[in-house]
Amino acid sequence: MAFDFRLPDVGEGLHEGTLVEWLVAVGEDVALDQPFARIETDKAVVDLPAPRAARVTQLHFSPGDLIEVGQVMISFSGDAPATRDGPAADAAAAPTGNGTSDSAAPARPPSVAALEDSDPRSFLATPHTRALARKLGVALAQVRPSGRGGRITDEDVERAAQQPVAATRPTTATPAAPSAVTAPPRAVPQVIGEEREERQPLSHLRRVIANAMAHSKRTAAHVTHVDEADVTDLLAIQKRACQHIETKGGPKLTLLPYFIKAAASALIDHPLLNASYDEDAQEIVYKHHRHIGVAVDTADGLVVPVIRHADQKDLLTIASELADIAERARRRQLTLDELKGATFTLSSLGPLGGAFATPIIHHPELAIVGLHAIKDRPAVVDGQVLPRKTMFISCSYDHRIIDGAVAARFMHDFLEMVQKPDLLMLRL
Amino acid sequence: MPIIEVNHFTTRRLQILDPSGVVDEQLMPDLGDEALVGLLCSMLRMRTFDEKALNLQRQGRIGTFGSLRGQEAAQAGLTLNLIDEDWLVPSIREQGVLEGRGLPMHLYYSFCKGDERASQIPDGLNATPQSIPIASQLLHAAGLGMALKLRNEEAAAVGFAGDGATSEGDFHEALNFAGVFGAQTLFYIQNNGWAISVPFSQQTAAETIAQKAFAYGFEGMQVDGNDVLAVYVASRDALDHVRSGKGPYLIEALTYRMESHTTADDHTRYRPAAEVEAWRARDPISRMRTFLSRQGLWDEQQEAELVAKVSAEVEAEVEALEAMPRPPATDIFDYMFAELPATLIEQRQQLIAESRNGK
Ligand SMILES: Cc1ncc(C[n+]2csc(CCOP(=O)(O)OP(=O)(O)O)c2C)c(N)n1
Ligand SMILES: [Mg+2]
Repeated sequence: MAFDFRLPDVGEGLHEGTLVEWLVAVGEDVALDQPFARIETDKAVVDLPAPRAARVTQLHFSPGDLIEVGQVMISFSGDAPATRDGPAADAAAAPTGNGTSDSAAPARPPSVAALEDSDPRSFLATPHTRALARKLGVALAQVRPSGRGGRITDEDVERAAQQPVAATRPTTATPAAPSAVTAPPRAVPQVIGEEREERQPLSHLRRVIANAMAHSKRTAAHVTHVDEADVTDLLAIQKRACQHIETKGGPKLTLLPYFIKAAASALIDHPLLNASYDEDAQEIVYKHHRHIGVAVDTADGLVVPVIRHADQKDLLTIASELADIAERARRRQLTLDELKGATFTLSSLGPLGGAFATPIIHHPELAIVGLHAIKDRPAVVDGQVLPRKTMFISCSYDHRIIDGAVAARFMHDFLEMVQKPDLLMLRL
Repeated sequence: MPIIEVNHFTTRRLQILDPSGVVDEQLMPDLGDEALVGLLCSMLRMRTFDEKALNLQRQGRIGTFGSLRGQEAAQAGLTLNLIDEDWLVPSIREQGVLEGRGLPMHLYYSFCKGDERASQIPDGLNATPQSIPIASQLLHAAGLGMALKLRNEEAAAVGFAGDGATSEGDFHEALNFAGVFGAQTLFYIQNNGWAISVPFSQQTAAETIAQKAFAYGFEGMQVDGNDVLAVYVASRDALDHVRSGKGPYLIEALTYRMESHTTADDHTRYRPAAEVEAWRARDPISRMRTFLSRQGLWDEQQEAELVAKVSAEVEAEVEALEAMPRPPATDIFDYMFAELPATLIEQRQQLIAESRNGK
């Protein structure tokens, strides 16, 4: 006999999880307790084991999909296991109070109630929805739930009532066995006239980014300060060092470690840009460490790993940490810890960086620096126009806490170190 | 008056079987081959039941569950010394001891489903229900230990707790009371290094938990809690001491929680992976397995047979679990109060009425 597996609450009070990957394919046999899928929740990534030996007949979602607790995610041929009981209210049976008296309707013997209720085929729906389903002659088993945690809503019941269903639709509320349910096929691109569109649920990471960005934009009073920097000398130094290190088999030395170092050094003298704002307490939180977040583009989206104590590390150490992070970000092996605790963030798209942009502050930090593309541009040096390597550097700051002059002074010191590497060397 | 030394204390730590599986011959207890093999078997049983619970949770068939993985020796070594007359007063992670004393595991699993009936301990098994409020059970253990003394019974009350529990007032009150009244109580503290995300280093400024017993006027000792032989010897001696009315005793078993605190927790967010790996190398089961294999008392085939046998028992318990008639929802009201307060009577009736309408 076939059975469906619904996403359980694998944490405590979870509502949904994102499918990371299937560990099985349709047609494959799984053994009892063999993991068949990997799910990412707010709590952790966990493997889901098969409740019994069975053959996979259908996968209802694709990796990256968001699955609600209670939704059918996979179907098997084999016997259905009992599942966790539905909401407690479903099971309310005759009073068995010790010392309490009830004036409720004649008591059903608990054993009978309990037996009825031990039926695993329970659906999540309020009494009102159940009554509605009875009235409309809809079997709850035929309804695709859209509510939180797999709950069936009134609307679901109404929708189901309007759908033409095979003549076998039961007219009582007796739920059919879940095995009889085949979930509707997954949403496919719908062709309506000439217009086509397709809906794709956000990945877990995308949702995290979406919320963080919107929150920052909603709360921080963004101002962006932009300056032009002449990095001809810095580039020359970096190029020499880079060749030297690479012949010795060292890490790839880009310009980024120099910028990280310059920012971390400037932050020592400008602690407000390294602080955060505790909105609840209405307090500025000054940090005695300088942990620089580095926005990294990965296939899945933006992540911001952290170079801890960047002001105390030398360029080589920073360079090898960056290489390691980039590699592990690509393989999605960064741990949560590595993505937490930045006090200030640098965002760089390298040659893709455009003329300039207005970065969004990485909440709850107070400032972020954007590094833009380096180009050959005419510059005036000692009264002469010369071709130089220059770039724009932007700094968005939260004007609730940081005034324009404070940010400008930080940028002045930061740019001075970038333009005059001999000054930066004093900090190494 | 000159300054004189009023007292001093020494905290001992016992280890017999080291992590590489080598025993200290001089300290080796006089246990027959069968008992030695039995210790390994009982640890393997615990782990098998534990692994199943994790799977059941991931399948949505039980709710939150706290794994004992890594603490099998600390529980098996003690269990072998228990007698029917002893009282067990468990905290939240003692399923191994309870299983070893004969608690049907479907009852334990049903506890993880929020089933009140799980707290109805079968007749003949002297145990109190699991105690979720941390350290509160130690007061019960002190009281039971005092009762045993008043009744002149040659038995012990074993109060279980974790390292985190020792920061609770209840822990100190229980130890003090037991010390003053000479309760026949063994305080059995499994120091697994963590209380959810709080490391032991933040639990106390004292070097050991064992030494706290001295402050309350009785003795405590440490034992390598991943060494089932040391746990066996230490708890044997402690239980003899307690049962014979010489006063309470405290054992601190040094062990490690290999899994997350519960299924609602993710330990990788706060524990360095290297620490977990270091403890994996000290696994209580592989240590004993190595020792017994070298003695020619254990091989792969025996292990495969045992695991197959226990797995069948586990599946039978799962069947028993799922064959349990569903408890009435009103159970959530019915066992806390002797007389239900008016507001709860109202809620209880509302629950009954609403669920009737919905049928
Ligand atoms: C009085 C009380 N406070 C807090 C909690 C929440 N809680 C549950 S387990 C736990 C940590 C217990 O740590 P420990 O005593 O070391 O036992 P372990 O979980 O390591 O076995 C806490 C704080 C509780 N159950 N009771
Ligand atoms: Mg602990």
